[in-house]
Amino acid sequence: MTVATPDRAVHNPFCTRHVRPGRIPALDGAGREIDLARVLARLAEIDGSVAIVGPHGSGKTTLLGHLADVLEAEGRCAARVRIGRIGDAVALLAALAQARRGGVICVDSWERLGPIWTHVIRWCAFVARTRLLVTAHGAGPLPTLWECRPTLSVLGAIVARLPCADTGMPPIGEAEVQRAFRDASGNIREALFLLYDAFEARARAVRDATA
Amino acid sequence: MTAYEGANGTARPAMPRVGMQFDRADRVYPPEHCLVGRYEVEGVQHESVRALERSVLWYTEGKGEEDLSVHHFERLDHEPLRAGDFPSGTITVRLPASPLSYEGVIVKIRWCVRIRLFFASGRDFVSEHVFDLGDIAPAPGTVERLT
Amino acid sequence: MRLPRFFGKKRGHRRTGSQAWGSFGEAVFYAALVMAGVCFAGLWITGSLGVGSDEAGLPWARWWLWLSSLLIPGALLAFGIAGLVRIVRGWGKSEERRAAAEGLANLIESMATPADAGRRFPGVPTCEDLVNSPGTILRYRLPIESPESWTLVGLGLFAVLWNAVLMVLAVGAGIDLLGGRVEWLLLAVIVPFLAVGVAGVVVFVRRLFLTTAVGTTQLEISAHPLLPGNSYDVLLAQSGSGTFQSLALTLEVEETASFRQGTDTRTERVIVWRELVKEWTHLQITPGVRFETHVTITIPDGAMHSFASEHNAVRWRVVVAGQPDRWPAFTRVFPLVVFPAAGPLHSGALPLAATGGVRR
Repeated sequence: MTVATPDRAVHNPFCTRHVRPGRIPALDGAGREIDLARVLARLAEIDGSVAIVGPHGSGKTTLLGHLADVLEAEGRCAARVRIGRIGDAVALLAALAQARRGGVICVDSWERLGPIWTHVIRWCAFVARTRLLVTAHGAGPLPTLWECRPTLSVLGAIVARLPCADTGMPPIGEAEVQRAFRDASGNIREALFLLYDAFEARARAVRDATA
Repeated sequence: MTAYEGANGTARPAMPRVGMQFDRADRVYPPEHCLVGRYEVEGVQHESVRALERSVLWYTEGKGEEDLSVHHFERLDHEPLRAGDFPSGTITVRLPASPLSYEGVIVKIRWCVRIRLFFASGRDFVSEHVFDLGDIAPAPGTVERLT
Repeated sequence: MRLPRFFGKKRGHRRTGSQAWGSFGEAVFYAALVMAGVCFAGLWITGSLGVGSDEAGLPWARWWLWLSSLLIPGALLAFGIAGLVRIVRGWGKSEERRAAAEGLANLIESMATPADAGRRFPGVPTCEDLVNSPGTILRYRLPIESPESWTLVGLGLFAVLWNAVLMVLAVGAGIDLLGGRVEWLLLAVIVPFLAVGVAGVVVFVRRLFLTTAVGTTQLEISAHPLLPGNSYDVLLAQSGSGTFQSLALTLEVEETASFRQGTDTRTERVIVWRELVKEWTHLQITPGVRFETHVTITIPDGAMHSFASEHNAVRWRVVVAGQPDRWPAFTRVFPLVVFPAAGPLHSGALPLAATGGVRR
């Protein structure tokens, strides 16, 4: 997509438009793009439901989204569900009822269902011969498909992919990226929000100086 | 822009370009006034355009989830149009009274004309052309962060 | 009738669970709680479990255990009914609007896209809830964003109900003791009940003192909605007693952005403009006599209007902040709605300073 804007608009490359899950590729701890084919091959090796684990803001939802895209293209992704409240368990049960045998249902924020519903849903998935691919913060009863590790390299790689050059503003330097990662205690999402604030403050200062 | 070879040796189609000429040079429109924009599509030599959608909408940008509202929408379906036969188009829309374009700190409101091309191959291409509705000054900056 | 889809398409390939089915699922859950409560209560009351029967020598024969046991179905019923009421009230509304309503803060309606159709000012919140209360001197009385009285009522109800149950248990234990029987299980139940009951009373009394000592703040305004470039008369009325080290009235613009952060929905709020309208220091308020004063607020020319969408908002508000002697500081927020200015384009700028006068 191309965007043409009037001069006074400042597009912050760290806005949610550019950093939301799905807009940036899934990266491993070294900041390289994850080989989705390799991950899916591992998925085929493991029986039953599996989990993508990692701390807050480590890229679990991003990886889940990309895997779901590939599974959808192959016709294997039965549904994607994001758990926001306990009522979503019913939607998940409905998805299981409608899913084909061998299909995969991608579930984000699995732990929000609580211990009772997670067991119920897992049992239903087993009966329906449908697999669950979920995101969770820690290793639980489900085998781990991938562990997301938030590192400075990941943050640097994400920043390198953002349209910073299109803004006409001085780029965000390595020192700022390091400071954001440190201040966010390794939470990539938080670090991106801190970089948003830093970029916004700088852009305003430049605009006010030139006005 | 020229075509280039893809990884398997086949020619990949060139990226189309959509130029937009607004009737106001500064692209700043008063509320409830008419916007007239002329668009030109170039660089589509090897594909046929199946349909075209043109819309005028606002969206939010910033630290929140993106909200969007379409003010005007048109879809033009034609028989497959060959390269060189693509019409120049003009979009004429009466703009609403609000919301006005706004350069906030964590909330920004942008208005744009969006041209979406649909190709017979199944691809689509989107070109966005931002303009200002109203002339609101940017927010000064962060005075206090509450949360 | 078309059933709602299980999954709604968001952007691209992303989907999320249908809100309708989610709400239906929650309703089923709470209805199940209500049914369970009714069943348990029915079984207990009809004696199907041998309740109240001394002959069998069952533990259920003890009246206090019987009473405590009724708390379980009672809690199920209360929780289930409350949940169903919440679902019905919030059916079809966005997550943010429901959350705001539950917090008694939804005084400004958030307009979803379909409802904007046909409105003169799409994206601008309506101000019906702000103009339905006439003032005594000026035209409108502004509602407060976070009424403390509701919190006080809630705390009071909890303290009364909890301590009522505690009293019943304590009287029963006392009667047993006088009769020479020591019910250790009952005493063990009473101890944590007592701790919570005492804490509830302490919190309520403290809040009551704070509210009555500090007094209420009322704001009236000469017109609503507001327009950029215009000035408005505001009446501030502060009741209470004692001395206020300071009392300040400010006009602010707040930006709000909500986003999903993993398993949480996070809302960020930033004040992007603030003007100190008036400040009073060493203010003496006599009990029974309100401090009343008129001030003028001006919406700067070219200022942004109020805006509300599903996840983002720009809000105007008047904030009254007070620092009473011997009591904690308080902040009371009165929301305003500013409409877009009618007429041709004009260039204007919000004042750059956070405090001070308006640059005209």
